[in-house]
Amino acid sequence: MSRLHLRRIAAPALAVSLSMGVAVLGLTAASATAAGSPGVTNTSITIGATVPLTGIASTGYNEVAKAANAVFKYVNSKGGINHRKINYILKDDCYNTPGFGCTGTPNTTTQTQALLAVPVFATVGSLGTPTQESVRNLLKSHGVPQLFVNSGSEAWNNPSHYPMLFGWQQSYIVESKILGTYMNKHLKGKKLCFLGQNDDFGGGGLQGLKDVHANPALVQKYSVTSLVLGGAAYFTPFIKAEQTASCKVVFLDTIPGATAAALGNAAALSFHPQWVISSVGSDPITLHKESSAVNDVGAITFAELPASTDTNPWNAWDRKVLLADPADFPGFTATTPMDGNMAYGIGWGVSFVEALRAEGKNVTRAGFVATLLKTTFQTPALTPLKYSKSNHEGLLGGYVDTVTSQTATTAVAGKTVYVTTPTTSSKVVVTHKVSTSVPAWLQPG
Amino acid sequence: MTPVFAVIDFRRAHPVLVRALLTLLFTCLALFLTYFFDPLTNYNLATGAAMAIVILGLSFLTGASGQVSLGNGAFMGIGAYAAAIWAVHHTTTPLVGTLALATLVGAAVGFLIGLPATRLRGPYLAGMTIAFALAFEPLVSIFSSWTNGDAPIQTPLLTPPGWLASLVHAPTSSLTTTNMWLADISIVVTGVAFFFMANLFRSRTGRAMRLVRENEVAAELAGVSLPRARVVAFMVSAAFAGLGGGLTTLVQGSVQSSTFNLGLSITILSLLVIGGIGTLSGALLGGLIFAYSQNWITWIEGKTGISSTSNLGGNLKGIIFGLALILVMLLAPLGIAGSIRFVILRQFKKHPLTRPSQSSTPQ
Amino acid sequence: MDAFLTSRAVSDLLAGLVSGVVIGLVALSLVLIWRSTHILNFAQGAMAMFAAYVGMTQLSHRLDLGAFTLQLNYWWCLVIAILAGLAIGGVTERVLVRPLYGKPEINPIVVMVGFLATLEALAGAIWGTTTLSVPTPFSFVDWQLHGQPLALSPNDVFRIVATFVVAVLIAVLFRFTNIGLQLRASAVAPEVSRLLGVRVGRMLTLGWILASGVGAVAAVIQATSFSTGLTPSIMEAPFAIAFIAAAVGGLESPTGALVAGIAFGIMQQFVSDYLNSNYVLLIALGVLILVLMIRPQGLFSKRVVRRV
Repeated sequence: MSRLHLRRIAAPALAVSLSMGVAVLGLTAASATAAGSPGVTNTSITIGATVPLTGIASTGYNEVAKAANAVFKYVNSKGGINHRKINYILKDDCYNTPGFGCTGTPNTTTQTQALLAVPVFATVGSLGTPTQESVRNLLKSHGVPQLFVNSGSEAWNNPSHYPMLFGWQQSYIVESKILGTYMNKHLKGKKLCFLGQNDDFGGGGLQGLKDVHANPALVQKYSVTSLVLGGAAYFTPFIKAEQTASCKVVFLDTIPGATAAALGNAAALSFHPQWVISSVGSDPITLHKESSAVNDVGAITFAELPASTDTNPWNAWDRKVLLADPADFPGFTATTPMDGNMAYGIGWGVSFVEALRAEGKNVTRAGFVATLLKTTFQTPALTPLKYSKSNHEGLLGGYVDTVTSQTATTAVAGKTVYVTTPTTSSKVVVTHKVSTSVPAWLQPG
Repeated sequence: MTPVFAVIDFRRAHPVLVRALLTLLFTCLALFLTYFFDPLTNYNLATGAAMAIVILGLSFLTGASGQVSLGNGAFMGIGAYAAAIWAVHHTTTPLVGTLALATLVGAAVGFLIGLPATRLRGPYLAGMTIAFALAFEPLVSIFSSWTNGDAPIQTPLLTPPGWLASLVHAPTSSLTTTNMWLADISIVVTGVAFFFMANLFRSRTGRAMRLVRENEVAAELAGVSLPRARVVAFMVSAAFAGLGGGLTTLVQGSVQSSTFNLGLSITILSLLVIGGIGTLSGALLGGLIFAYSQNWITWIEGKTGISSTSNLGGNLKGIIFGLALILVMLLAPLGIAGSIRFVILRQFKKHPLTRPSQSSTPQ
Repeated sequence: MDAFLTSRAVSDLLAGLVSGVVIGLVALSLVLIWRSTHILNFAQGAMAMFAAYVGMTQLSHRLDLGAFTLQLNYWWCLVIAILAGLAIGGVTERVLVRPLYGKPEINPIVVMVGFLATLEALAGAIWGTTTLSVPTPFSFVDWQLHGQPLALSPNDVFRIVATFVVAVLIAVLFRFTNIGLQLRASAVAPEVSRLLGVRVGRMLTLGWILASGVGAVAAVIQATSFSTGLTPSIMEAPFAIAFIAAAVGGLESPTGALVAGIAFGIMQQFVSDYLNSNYVLLIALGVLILVLMIRPQGLFSKRVVRRV
């Protein structure tokens, strides 16, 4: 063979061989599954989630799944559920915004494929509306349950098209219907203005307000990418417009970073309306992490879980569980304030283990979904958690509370609990708080 | 020796045919291997192959005509959205049609951006492509009635045909069959793209491009229209990026504008550099590094005990990637494939029997 | 008069000025490096961020200096950040940039991009990716003019004054000192300068040191905010816009870069308020193309770029 021939062949041949070698190196061993459900063996059950561990959405939100993981570890330390230990795999998807800050982090679809390849029994507690919307069809096409999606979008309540898809928290519409009802009663006659995110979140929030006839005089929408690009100054025109319009009550459907920008600008402009803030962005501890200069003390907000300072049967248990998991919560002590993200993660973590226990020895995907529809849950939430064939939403209410300090909130209105559904015509109903105790089998000792 | 000379003569006389046969050979080999791979490897292969196409386009722009562009992430996004919007509204169009549309849209936008780019040099061109890369997300928001704004568009999932499932012996899952199909489609499309580029690179257009890169005055004297060459270079690289973007979208089943930011353009350039500028194998390698780097990071974390949820664990990939880029550029600027190729070529040049003859055509 | 000063347009102008000074400083630092070494420093923002972290993580710590202990307040931390910036600039030039002189233009671009990724990831690994709050040294509450707020607060004035001081210091250094003359000479005519006894290598390093110091100030100012704090990715957006502004202003002109950066900040504010924030970058792209078609060397540059 001549040199020319060899040379012309050698390079591409080497390249392809190199590439194939690289591909082989990437081979992951197919795991042995028990005859039965993927991800389930006699001694373990493997579940997973895609969450923003790094990047712009990570402040605060990266604690949620870790709190659930603390619950799973606690349950494992007591022998697991029906002798199965829970193996929870977390994959970072950087909220699907790869960039400098998350160099090369795979997107949600890729991380979900990685979870499917393990295989996981189900995804439990993946976070984000756009992120989870982008993998709905993928999970459905392979029959993988998508459980307890961390988002208040209506997208998870679609039982006819997505029978294995479940939310957990109340939807944005439910939250603002309740807050709107409260405002109609207690802030009557005061001019209302709305500032919300330009997607499902703000859209749902505005819809809820309109459903209960708490119509804002001024509606403004912000974009998250513009906030990242323009910083606090991006919000100045919004707040200035509210000041010029003499808004007395301002409703914020904002993520914590946007809440901080709004509150900071208002402080700079000496503008002090009554703030009403969605639970998504009102947690005072998270806000304090965003900026020590602003706080939302005095703001009215919503909670589906009791405040951490409440005397509540669950709070003490929550603290024990978090203390027992220093890997996920380094530096957590008996006096560290628990923030809303931790309580939230524990809430659906507990829901998962209860459903798993209720299903019994034989665990299958279809069986688990059926169990979810039948189970009466005992969770820290203020309202009952009940799924049905027509409701995959999750919680349907909570109470209105007010932020009393940089670390705490307190219920207003005598701890009145409100319940409603996302449909426009359904009324907001006052009901009693569900007071559940920690189930005996979860108690320490 | 006569049969060998016959082969060489054949190769000299019918270069396109030989390249086609080689492409066919390697594509079939790759398709054969997907049968054995597990679902995650196949999925990674699919996305890596699509990325390789994008990198190849940039390789042509940079390697052939010497221009640095940081806008190929945006071109990829344009192709991705073109494919997504079309696929959602026209579910009966065959895959080939949707991908062709993505390529054409990419080429059209490449033409638009290439026009002002012809007058810019060096840092000013880079600045313009950066502005273009940044403008992509807002552009998608502005046309939100078509693009769903910041929210993702879900495209119909690619489902494997019935005969594939019967090829794959039981026991298997829908995931195995589907991902094998995804990988197969990507490999075929990548093969076609690489074949096209191989011919383009060695064609008159390709040679003219490289002459422009090496010596603009000589190129002009030789009758090459410089602005035209630059616009064509942009169009080709944008077309390839659009094709890669469209393929990625259809493989993943969704598209979201936040993916196609400046960071993606920088990642593409970086993978090109690590793989090797100006070589086909370099682009392929870059695509595979894109797909498998996460696996390698997980392996490293397993060996060193770093938790993937700790500060260090979450940022390990960025640190390694950044350092790799710096080291490759300082120590081996030809990239991995380029350096290997250089070594091979040098070996042949050294040996007296293989020293280049007077009649050999320049590479 | 009061009504005019508190009007929407003037408020936007002032807010844009306040946010634009950071962009201007970053653009200035980019031009300083370009003028001295003809390299596009893609890692400029990240280097500045890293220096800011080194400084600001010392807030409210105590420094034991034997004779007395120093309570580290904002100003001391700013000084530490600037010193860190100077050091990072010098080390980067010596270690990373030296080997790249004379190489094709793509090489330094890629190396600095790699450096950018490394620095951001390293900052995240060391200090975490969640926000580090940096409180403002002055009140951020706007002054009131007869009950209406003026879009200017003591902290805003601090930002503007700090930028002005840095710009003046750099200008004085370049125009009126011997070192400045040597810096300029090394940039424009290195061979001749060498013959005249100028230590050209040292001057190149000094250019990077100064630019990084400027960048560190920009990053600290950017992080000092009432609504957000320091994160590893904080300088990404200002860097990208500063790059465009520097290209428009002309990479050879420090004044042009500063002015263009501030102008972009103002444009961003007006467009976000009156139109839609989505149009900001499209307009920036349009302005860039327009300017470079008419005047390829940028608006303020004197050197003519080779045209085809």
